[in-house]
Amino acid sequence: MIYADEIETMPREALEALQLKRLKNTLERVYNLVDFYRKKLDEAGVKPDDVKSLDDLKRLPFTTKQDLRDNYPFGLFTLPLEQVVRVHASSGTTGKPTVVGYSRRDIDIWSELMARSFAAAGVTKGDIIQNAYGYGLFTGGLGAHYGGEKLGATVIPISGGNTKKQIMIMKDLGSTVLTATPSYTLYLAEVIRDMGIEKDELRLRVGILGAEPWSEEMRKMIEEKLGIDAIDIYGLSEILGPGVAIECREAKHGLHIWEDAFIPEIIDPDTGEVLEDGEEGELVITTIQKDAMPLIRYRTRDITRIIREPCVCGRTHRRIERIKGRSDDMLIIRGVNIFPSQIESLLMETEGVEPHYQLIVDRVNNLDTLEVKVEVSEKIFSDEIKHLQNLQRQIEKDIKDLFGISVKVTLAEPKSLQRFEGKAKRVIDKRKL
Amino acid sequence: MKRIRQISVFIENRPGRLLEVVELLGSKGINLKALSLADSSDFGIARLITNNTDEAVRILKESGFTVSVTNTLACLIEDKPGSLARILRLLANENINVEYMYGFASPIAGRAVMVFKLSDLEKAQEMFNKNGVELLSQEEIREI
Repeated sequence: MIYADEIETMPREALEALQLKRLKNTLERVYNLVDFYRKKLDEAGVKPDDVKSLDDLKRLPFTTKQDLRDNYPFGLFTLPLEQVVRVHASSGTTGKPTVVGYSRRDIDIWSELMARSFAAAGVTKGDIIQNAYGYGLFTGGLGAHYGGEKLGATVIPISGGNTKKQIMIMKDLGSTVLTATPSYTLYLAEVIRDMGIEKDELRLRVGILGAEPWSEEMRKMIEEKLGIDAIDIYGLSEILGPGVAIECREAKHGLHIWEDAFIPEIIDPDTGEVLEDGEEGELVITTIQKDAMPLIRYRTRDITRIIREPCVCGRTHRRIERIKGRSDDMLIIRGVNIFPSQIESLLMETEGVEPHYQLIVDRVNNLDTLEVKVEVSEKIFSDEIKHLQNLQRQIEKDIKDLFGISVKVTLAEPKSLQRFEGKAKRVIDKRKL
Repeated sequence: MKRIRQISVFIENRPGRLLEVVELLGSKGINLKALSLADSSDFGIARLITNNTDEAVRILKESGFTVSVTNTLACLIEDKPGSLARILRLLANENINVEYMYGFASPIAGRAVMVFKLSDLEKAQEMFNKNGVELLSQEEIREI
């Protein structure tokens, strides 16, 4: 179902005209209201008036995570706090968190974009949404919550964790939609099985999963274990929260980015040069509908490509491909770039390996080492050492074939690796300690 | 059919892990009749014969261990030089492969027990019977 038909299927020409109008408004506002932007634009020698086409966007300077930190907490707000009704913040695992503010109108628009996203995933107002994204400073919980209500669905604000109770509620209340991280969804599936609950005892039919990169193979596994459609959703707190882009149920290929609110670009992360649609690079987003804290050319550090081809669902908003990873998550092992999601794909395709894994990076004698810990499933457990060693060797060979580096594969006992209620942390990089 | 149901448990090579298995079973009144440990550099497989296979499997699974049950043969052999060689020769003559084996001394005077995982259990059992090699049943193992 298309929630906002007129805007979601708007002809490209009209959509781009709307983008330009909104971009100009945004630039005007930030230039006049935020010291940081005025200084940056002046340095770049560009005035808001100089932007006459969408192509002129590339003349504007980038905004980075560091800029957000430097202006912590409210330096990038365009509105006085009297008009800011809410703040969220990123987790801030590396230093100060980054704070984002929302006006009443921002919250309304966010709710609308999230409602559109739900609808694109096939959710209707008759659905019961079990919202297992964390509530709090993290945008996931409240973002999905308001969107679900806006759509008219029934929202269960259960938040993350408390897994057994979560499953009891899912069963007793007949939840039909789950919103959670993919890693928590897998954990839920595991506990559901351990509790002896069959998937036909649940009414779950759609999972709207995001907040961390995951692989196509992980999708297949989740869909099979829970008997649901698993839909990829994208967002980041700096830009808005969840609901920046989502896959449609029809194609399940690429995430429609809501272009009436955001202008996406793909750049070469090293040179900053804008790349053509279809080329892989870093996603840069400009917000054109935000009041309290618009961002101009924000570097997301997420690696993807833009799909320009029309989609079977009829939406005209371009798609971004499933995020390959965040550039900060990319591992460089002996000069080879590896995204954890690539190793995940490979493991998920290996018979007998459970979807739980950990990557441990270290430096021994000035040489990077990568250890891949995987859990052995009961299905393939053999009482002969050689069978298990063959499994280890096969994975080591597959990784070597793909990346050209030797890694060590360690078999772990089932359920021995950490499970996650929110975003998964599967990489332990001891080189940074 | 004198098959012995042996329990195999996957264990990571870290201090105290085997102890946990043994302690767990001990605390639930499971008696170990035989135990052998096969290991690679980072994991091992503990192979156990107990007085109550089903109960032991249930207890181990409940505690999250990965467990499988394998059929083996337990031969009673004379505790004197050359008696194991005789058994192995019988197997070799029939082209039966020994996948692994382990032994333990039994309280039955002058005899030892050898546990075999073989490529062809059926054929081995037939051949042992023909050649007068005594096999223990699960009940007999429980009694010793």
